[in-house]
Amino acid sequence: MAITDLPLFSMLRTRMQWHQERQRILAQNVANADTRNYRPQDLAPLKFEPSKIAMAASAGPSGGLTRTDANHFNVGVSSSGNQFQAAHGGNLETRPSGNAVNLEDEMIKVAANQMDFQAATTLYTKSLGLLKAAIGKR
Amino acid sequence: MDFLKSIAIAASGLRAQSGRMRVIAENIANADSTATTPGGEPYRRKVATFKSEIDKALEAPVVTLGPVRNDPSEFRVKHEPGHPNADENGNVKYPNVNGLVEMTDMREAQRSYEANINVISASRRMIQRTIEILKS
Repeated sequence: MAITDLPLFSMLRTRMQWHQERQRILAQNVANADTRNYRPQDLAPLKFEPSKIAMAASAGPSGGLTRTDANHFNVGVSSSGNQFQAAHGGNLETRPSGNAVNLEDEMIKVAANQMDFQAATTLYTKSLGLLKAAIGKR
Repeated sequence: MDFLKSIAIAASGLRAQSGRMRVIAENIANADSTATTPGGEPYRRKVATFKSEIDKALEAPVVTLGPVRNDPSEFRVKHEPGHPNADENGNVKYPNVNGLVEMTDMREAQRSYEANINVISASRRMIQRTIEILKS
């Protein structure tokens, strides 16, 4: 039984991949903060369904991620695949040039993304520590 | 690894914003440059534009400095008969650069630049945290 088959590790791994993808999208938003007619993009929050987790434990690294294929939105030419849904948010602030990026919002999202990623990696580290304790290694 | 893509996208933003700063610096430095011949055209204010294009190596949309266009607004005209470049009416044309507009543009470019730097720092910290998993 490989480590990645354990539901805990596969879920954390999916979550870390989600944060990675979101960081890329937020970086794009910030870099395009002055481009004409640019609308900021974001990812929908990750949801795990308990019934799918047990089933997906043997299905591979995708974890118990809820997906609806019909709504897949191409968030850019990404080689990691488009397994994460894009969120469609309301744009409250659109400047005359057509650009709708709110820099403060994006900065807050970047900081929150980083902290959540840190939480996921800490959990991953602690879980590895648990396993190591179980096999008797110090 | 996707984090390197985030850093590369933010780096393209840095390059674009510094290009914009260069254009603003040109405008401010040439704010009083009249024409070299009497009745000729003085310095015309330039405007930097951005465009988003797909970088093939990264497979991600990056931002680049688009064509630098000229500001088509009117020149300021001052009545200075003693100026060597005055035309037959004694008027001298000055560049259409407004100092206040340039300062505001400069602050906005600086703000965007710092935002891109923050994105790079955050991505770098995330990579470091990932590598630290191995250490424990």
